[in-house]
Amino acid sequence: MRPVVTLLMVAVAVLVQATIVNRLPFDWGPGPDLVLATVVAVALTTSPATAAGCGFAAGLAMDVLPPAEHPMGRYALMLCVAAYVVSLLHANTGLGGSGGGRLSRWAALGVVAVASLGVGLGYAFIGLVMGDAHVTVGAVAVNVGIGTLATTLVAPLVTLPVLAVRSLLAEDDFATIQGPISAGRW
Amino acid sequence: MLSDTTRSRLVLAVLVAVALVLLVVDARPGSDPVTSIARNGGELVFAPTAAGVGLVSGPFTRVYEGLSAGPEAADRITELEEANAELESELQAARLDGHRAEKLDDMLHLSGRGAYEVVAAQAVTRTTARGYAHTATLDIGTDSGVEPDMTVVNGDGLVGRVTDAGPRTATVKLATDVNSSVGARLEASRKIGAITGGSVPGGPDADMTLELFDMEAPIDQGDRVVTLGSLEGAPFVPGVPIGTVDEVQVAPGALSRIARITPAVDFSALDVVGVVVKGPAEDPRDSVLPPESDPEGDQ
Repeated sequence: MRPVVTLLMVAVAVLVQATIVNRLPFDWGPGPDLVLATVVAVALTTSPATAAGCGFAAGLAMDVLPPAEHPMGRYALMLCVAAYVVSLLHANTGLGGSGGGRLSRWAALGVVAVASLGVGLGYAFIGLVMGDAHVTVGAVAVNVGIGTLATTLVAPLVTLPVLAVRSLLAEDDFATIQGPISAGRW
Repeated sequence: MLSDTTRSRLVLAVLVAVALVLLVVDARPGSDPVTSIARNGGELVFAPTAAGVGLVSGPFTRVYEGLSAGPEAADRITELEEANAELESELQAARLDGHRAEKLDDMLHLSGRGAYEVVAAQAVTRTTARGYAHTATLDIGTDSGVEPDMTVVNGDGLVGRVTDAGPRTATVKLATDVNSSVGARLEASRKIGAITGGSVPGGPDADMTLELFDMEAPIDQGDRVVTLGSLEGAPFVPGVPIGTVDEVQVAPGALSRIARITPAVDFSALDVVGVVVKGPAEDPRDSVLPPESDPEGDQ
């Protein structure tokens, strides 16, 4: 039940991002990244390996869907690494929640903001390495800044519900509590 | 402190490796069978969803455009409320169709003057998830005769060129993209130059910048610019209006003259566009430009 619902939520996030958010004519450039907000929520409630897989799948879906303006794999790489790091830090250091217990809402939003910043910079870095002419200091500053802000603003509408659904569907009361290394369970 | 199982690390390593391989394979020029199959699969999902969103979102888009007008928002709201009451009596679909028909009409008018053969399309996305590239996605593809390196126009002028085409969608690089470069010709004087999206180093901050190769060429604010046209009409057919010269920069020691261009097309409100599937037999010269509306203009 839990994996199916999770898969469905990630797929909906990807489609909404590709067909609705990308359609909105924002004057200021980038819009919110719903896919990242969803993947972070999943990463905070699963093992690092599963989180990496989920991030990779969601990122690859965004790469494959039109417009084909960046090479395939660029976003998949970023989301895969971001989800892995978020999950690993959460499992090992209790990041985003005190004492390894349930996440506080503010902490989850903070994790989304930091992840968004990291993914934005990483994405720009890949562009820099690959010689993408769009990547200039000014463009990166504007895009990462505004993108992070927009993603953080929509996070309460995306990340928190996904977290809530995933905790609700957890098999037992302790399922959301992460040990030092959690079981590879969805 | 950051302990993890070997299996978990292996999974990450494999996924990162796959992503890097995909990056390298897809970044190479030319099309690759694996990535093009993947993209075709992606658009199978994308095309119907985007069409559905288009049907549902029509009325919302108009309200959004009104609200995002900024300072005049208060006036706009009263105006919109009146318009809304008026429009409620009409069928939603009819309203949408009328709006599109108007834009389509403009575009056909332009293609008629230039003798371009166009296929009508609708822009279904405008931004990308990370917002760097200026691209739009169209709801038609190779099934309708669209191929990469075709010119995209709308009723006002040049929109961009097709960079990637699948069976049912096509990706357009807008003329305001940093990587876009269009051969351009000044109206009447026939002096040629190149228009790049964004600003050039040393140039003014702009949506588009014209670099004129002739230092002595007379150029003034208000001069209009059309496409020069490429060999065989790909990627750009000749004669499409690009924009108007806004400000000319005189830089001592520069090798070319730089001018800021105001685009003829409103890129923030792209809707109905046309892909030129066949260029004109003869260069239409300046005949595609609309008649000079300003009586104090150069003509």
